[in-house]
Amino acid sequence: MKRSVLAVVTALAFVASFATTAVRAQSAAPAGYDFNGMPDMSDFDPATWTSPTGDTIKVAIVASFSGPAALVGQVYWASAAWAAHDINKRGGIVVDGKKKLIELIKADHASKPDQAKRVVERMVLQEKVNFLWGTDGSNLQKIINETANKYKVIAVNTASLSDDLQDATNFSRYAFQTSMSADQLGRGLAWYYGQMRKKERKFYILDQDYSFGRLLAEGFKKGLKEYYPDAQIVGEDYHKLFLTDYAPYLEKVKASGAEVVFTGDWIPDAANLLKQARQMGVKLPFAHVFMDEPNFLTEVGVEGTNGLVQISQYGTVGDAFKTPEQIRYYKAWNDLWQTKWKTAPFNTPLFQHPAGNIGSYIEQTEWLFSVIARAKSVDPEKIIKVWENDSYRFTNGKMLKMRACDHKAIQELHILEFVPPGEQKQSFNIRPYYWNANYSAAGPIHAVPSKAILPLMDTNLDRCKGANPAGE
Amino acid sequence: MNPTTSMYVAQGLHGLAYGMILFLIASGLNVIFGMMGVLNLAHASFFMLSAYLGYQVVALTGNFWLALLLAPLGSALVGVAMERFLLRRVHAFGHMGELILTVGVGSIVLAAVKSIWGTESLQLKMPAILSGRVTIAGLDYPVYRLFIIGLALLILAVMTLLLYRTRLGKIVRAAVSDAGMVNALGINIPLVFMLVFGVGVWMAGIAGVAIAPILTVFPGLADQVGMDAFIVVVTGGFGSLAGAFIVSLIFGLLSSYGVQFMSELAPVLIVAFMAIVLAIRPHGLLGARDS
Amino acid sequence: MSATQRRLACVVTAFALAAIPPLFGPYYTNLFLTFAIFSVFSVSLNLLLGYTGLFSFGHAMFFGTGAYATALALKHVSGLPLLAAVGIGVAAAALLALVLCPIVVRVSGTAFAMLHLAFSQMMYVLALKLHNITGGEDGIGNFPIPALTIPGVGSVPMKDEPANFYYFAIALLALSLWLMWFFTRTPLGQVQLAIRENARRTDYLGFRVAQTKAVIYVFAAANAGVAGSLYGLFHDLVSADGALGALVSFAPIINIMIGGIGTFLGPVLGTAIFELIEELASRYTEHVELVIGLLLVVVIMYAPMGVLGVARMLRQKWRRDAPAAGALQKTS
Repeated sequence: MKRSVLAVVTALAFVASFATTAVRAQSAAPAGYDFNGMPDMSDFDPATWTSPTGDTIKVAIVASFSGPAALVGQVYWASAAWAAHDINKRGGIVVDGKKKLIELIKADHASKPDQAKRVVERMVLQEKVNFLWGTDGSNLQKIINETANKYKVIAVNTASLSDDLQDATNFSRYAFQTSMSADQLGRGLAWYYGQMRKKERKFYILDQDYSFGRLLAEGFKKGLKEYYPDAQIVGEDYHKLFLTDYAPYLEKVKASGAEVVFTGDWIPDAANLLKQARQMGVKLPFAHVFMDEPNFLTEVGVEGTNGLVQISQYGTVGDAFKTPEQIRYYKAWNDLWQTKWKTAPFNTPLFQHPAGNIGSYIEQTEWLFSVIARAKSVDPEKIIKVWENDSYRFTNGKMLKMRACDHKAIQELHILEFVPPGEQKQSFNIRPYYWNANYSAAGPIHAVPSKAILPLMDTNLDRCKGANPAGE
Repeated sequence: MNPTTSMYVAQGLHGLAYGMILFLIASGLNVIFGMMGVLNLAHASFFMLSAYLGYQVVALTGNFWLALLLAPLGSALVGVAMERFLLRRVHAFGHMGELILTVGVGSIVLAAVKSIWGTESLQLKMPAILSGRVTIAGLDYPVYRLFIIGLALLILAVMTLLLYRTRLGKIVRAAVSDAGMVNALGINIPLVFMLVFGVGVWMAGIAGVAIAPILTVFPGLADQVGMDAFIVVVTGGFGSLAGAFIVSLIFGLLSSYGVQFMSELAPVLIVAFMAIVLAIRPHGLLGARDS
Repeated sequence: MSATQRRLACVVTAFALAAIPPLFGPYYTNLFLTFAIFSVFSVSLNLLLGYTGLFSFGHAMFFGTGAYATALALKHVSGLPLLAAVGIGVAAAALLALVLCPIVVRVSGTAFAMLHLAFSQMMYVLALKLHNITGGEDGIGNFPIPALTIPGVGSVPMKDEPANFYYFAIALLALSLWLMWFFTRTPLGQVQLAIRENARRTDYLGFRVAQTKAVIYVFAAANAGVAGSLYGLFHDLVSADGALGALVSFAPIINIMIGGIGTFLGPVLGTAIFELIEELASRYTEHVELVIGLLLVVVIMYAPMGVLGVARMLRQKWRRDAPAAGALQKTS
């Protein structure tokens, strides 16, 4: 008799434990991409996609669409449009009781501060957009955030990496920084070298001479102190933007005995630096953020790119494709790239994979849409309520959390070790088992835990006084 | 050689190479601005156009030397057309007219380049024969940079010879000095000017193809090198090839030694040097031309 | 235009200006204010270019100095009144001009242009380099914008009040414009023209060319400083690219040419036209540089006197007067 009671009680306890786990899982499960409803994206072409109009959810994509930096606008547009098309194909998002489609509007600032202010004001006052998406260049993002704050429109910073955008002087509760930030990147690389790799010790910092380059270097130095006290900074230089000749700097690097060169350079500086380094016979590995543009990597070749280490805002440990859904998600884009997209630049290797920065922009946009869907409204106050402390998971499993006090994204970052095409199947685990046949790219991928690289929190900001940087 | 000496030598060599890069870029502008007095703000755009044309030739044929031959000619053709049909008419409005026109043409070149080759960054492949390294004074030095130095010196030599040792050069110098008189002597002045302009743009084109393998060919290339070219020509003095050469060298050395010893200040050094020279000699170091 | 007609035109313009904020809302108010700021900046350059024949390639120097001085003053001096901040900007620009005078008045023509390019570029590089003071690329932003205190009346808040700031700025800009116009009417203003036509002869006639040039130079710089100072306040952000870049020096030259170099209001019209075209181009096409490039080429080839120049030519044709000789028209 007692044994059967015991059995029943045990059984009940067993079942109960499942129930509580289920309840806990439901409240803890982060939002993420809904693979189940994934629509047929085969009619999408970034060159020709047009926004729906009418009673829509309006998002302004603020970027350079004209001038020398027009590529940036094209990248942003393709990424955001992909996410928008996906939602629109599902019928849109229910907002204030009505199902509405996503409308994207191009807001061209041509990298000029005056024009940025004008165009953002036009978006807010004339086009009456609900969201401002973008941009690159913290001086321009500041303008966006200010206008957003003045007119109470939500601004989503997807691409400007400066930490001071959300500091005490510049913070606005209408602005959300979903992108990675400079300080995180620097500390992340330091963590990898000190806590995981534990090999090279001597680092040379060679960054661009402006706020991002300096913040990045500060982060790296701080990270080394914290995670790799044995490391040594054998040199530190800041070169002017769009530098023509890197030889004098590379000479110093050679003389310093450095084992790794740390840089945050982006194109064209990243390309010119690596090219000239290899031409000069400097074979050192680079710890970098933006050396992932296919054309110059092809030019440098497999050998010259082997051993580079990238810290990225898009990645997953080990196999890049772990579930059939992830493969389907990848192929939706890649198949179109291979067969359908004929207009430059969308048909070039830059757009081959929905990974890297493009992948991140797509998924940051999907996060925004997810927040809107859960807020069931585009009212800024409701968006803020949902987004603060929100957790989100990218399709590749990467976790992000929006820190409530300063609207910065707590996120893990990923370290990509570049290896020759034959070894790239360590991450690219489906046919053809490499990211690119012409140069070394991601092989082993590691994660830097988000707790190790919490974004910089300005304690002068009242909201953050006494707050836990981990957002708990 | 102990490390410090070899480092001095190395930076000296780098300074020389960068100086020659600057000279290559600026020499064409020196010819046009210095000799003809024409303010050509599209100079860097022709540099960029030639780099793109060179990329295209290499992409089609794989032959760098063909690119070095054809691309500058293509760029020069565009430049000559600009001179013949557009620039000639605005001379009457002086520098302002030239500024507006050449800024306009530069804009159009940017639009053209983006339309034809797209917005991406492209790479002009270095010829295999020049992509190795040699040992110079104990240094492991890229052959290609020696090529650039050699090319710049060659251009300097050829230009000097042409201008000072040939009849054509004599005519050009005379025409620049007093066009009316030379015209009265029966020389076809518009043709001479067109030729000079063409040569200037051609030189920019040579620089474009020669320097592209160490840089990235992208729509911002003109902006990247434009100001450098101007600063060299302005500091060196209008009309003075020697002035441009000397100033290029000085800038190159300031740049490399600046980076070595005071890297924070390196970019300021060049601009400061320019400001000082101009404050003392407003027409440039070796400039003689009357404004 | 008779004096009465002119006075009437001024009154009508004043009313029109005052009506903009209530009629058109903050976006167009801001757009108009941008146009006004750059108009005054362009007119100040025209004092050098069109009136005195001094071709400055680097007028952004004074614009940027005015902007940075005002921003820095407001950032570091707490409780600084608004007008004082603007005054500091103007004074800084004028001071810079004064310092450069000895070098600058000795030259003319190409050398003058190049010298200004050089100094302007140097300021740009320094502004980026001294980022601890100037904020580098990001610039100085979010500095306090105090309310305007009118003694006896009260204080008018300026920050986040587009209409208030508009009235304040327009008043100052109108004053600046009027001062420049008045200047061209003075005997000194006439000497300007003489210097433009033939500096040597003017010198022989007994006029002190160098000193005159200096006065004009400082005056033009001060007015550029007004524009720059208001620009900084308007954006609450002063950055190297926005205030000292090469484009900031080129834009007024383009404005002057499009509007008409030989007239006082030409630059104002040119600024309006150019900004309008830029705005429309960036809204409807991505090939903005093609539109701008074509515009510049077409205007300089076929209407180098600018819109006002063409208008004058047409008017003269109507009246069947003999067209004025020479490339640059005398000012009216």
